[in-house]
Amino acid sequence: MMNMLEATQAVCRRLSDDVPVVASLGNPGLNLFNAQPGRQRNFYFRNAMGSASSLALGLATAAPEQRVVLLDGDGSLLMNLSSLASEGWRGPRNLVHICWDNRMYEMTGQQATATSGPADLAAIAEGAGFPKVERAETLAAFEAALERALAGDGPWFILAVVAGERAKRNPANPKSATGIRHRFMGELGA
Amino acid sequence: MSWPNTIVDVLKKYQVRHINFLPDAMGEKLLTLMRDDKDFDLLPLAREEEGVGVTCGQALGGKRGALLCPTSGIGNSLNALASLPIPYRIPVPMIIGFRGDLGEFNSTQVMMGQSLPEIFRSMRIPYFELKREDEVAVLTEGFLRLCYSTESPAALLISTQLAGWKE
Repeated sequence: MMNMLEATQAVCRRLSDDVPVVASLGNPGLNLFNAQPGRQRNFYFRNAMGSASSLALGLATAAPEQRVVLLDGDGSLLMNLSSLASEGWRGPRNLVHICWDNRMYEMTGQQATATSGPADLAAIAEGAGFPKVERAETLAAFEAALERALAGDGPWFILAVVAGERAKRNPANPKSATGIRHRFMGELGA
Repeated sequence: MSWPNTIVDVLKKYQVRHINFLPDAMGEKLLTLMRDDKDFDLLPLAREEEGVGVTCGQALGGKRGALLCPTSGIGNSLNALASLPIPYRIPVPMIIGFRGDLGEFNSTQVMMGQSLPEIFRSMRIPYFELKREDEVAVLTEGFLRLCYSTESPAALLISTQLAGWKE
């Protein structure tokens, strides 16, 4: 099964430095930092569970010429499923919504999420009107899906099935909310 | 000039282009003016909490947006407000139809509506209530100025005294 850090490293390898990346709280953000600590155009959530997909929709709406990549998690997305309907309806062509699906609330003790049962976030994204939906269970399949998403119009939804592993906490992980915001906006020149 | 036109003019003056909304009868009086106006980009949402994140994302991208919804929707948005725009210091103007207040016909709206001013006070979110036509321009402009100078959420409540209550 795919490892979230390795898949995040693949994202960082393929993205040019000018593409903004939004990461949901917990493992998606920790892995984003660990994959490429020097990467500047990253916005890290520290709470506001579920809101990463909405923030990415807002950013994609405000900057339609700029590709926007979102690293979401199954628990976060389940908390804000209505954001998929809003993304699908608005249909921003520049949005790449990647959802790591480890089928658990890993950070709080590996409690199961609904995707460990019958819930299928890729099917929900399709139903919400995403024109491009990919499902990847291996790193090779994920990299191929990512390649397509970075080459063509979206909005894209990529469900990446990953193992339930805890990301390493690095003492240098960004912690200051205002610091994260200032650096990100400074980088975007906004 | 009637209050919806005044609010729309001030929003234009401050280049608030992105209107992220859940509809209500009061908000519709603004939406109906903005729908065919190229100065506005309306983004319909399915839950008000989305509007907090969306408005933050637009601000990060260098554009001004606002959340338009009734009082019940702010109830749906509280942790997003508390943990995203407040600690990260991102301006989120909120234009709120005041349900659950003077003349409310639906008793189930009242608890959220009557609690909201106290919730805003406890969260240190400044709010201003539009009650009279002759105050709409200054309160709308002032709430936006404060929102951008503090880089934090601020709220404008449209009262039934101004807009009329729902029958």
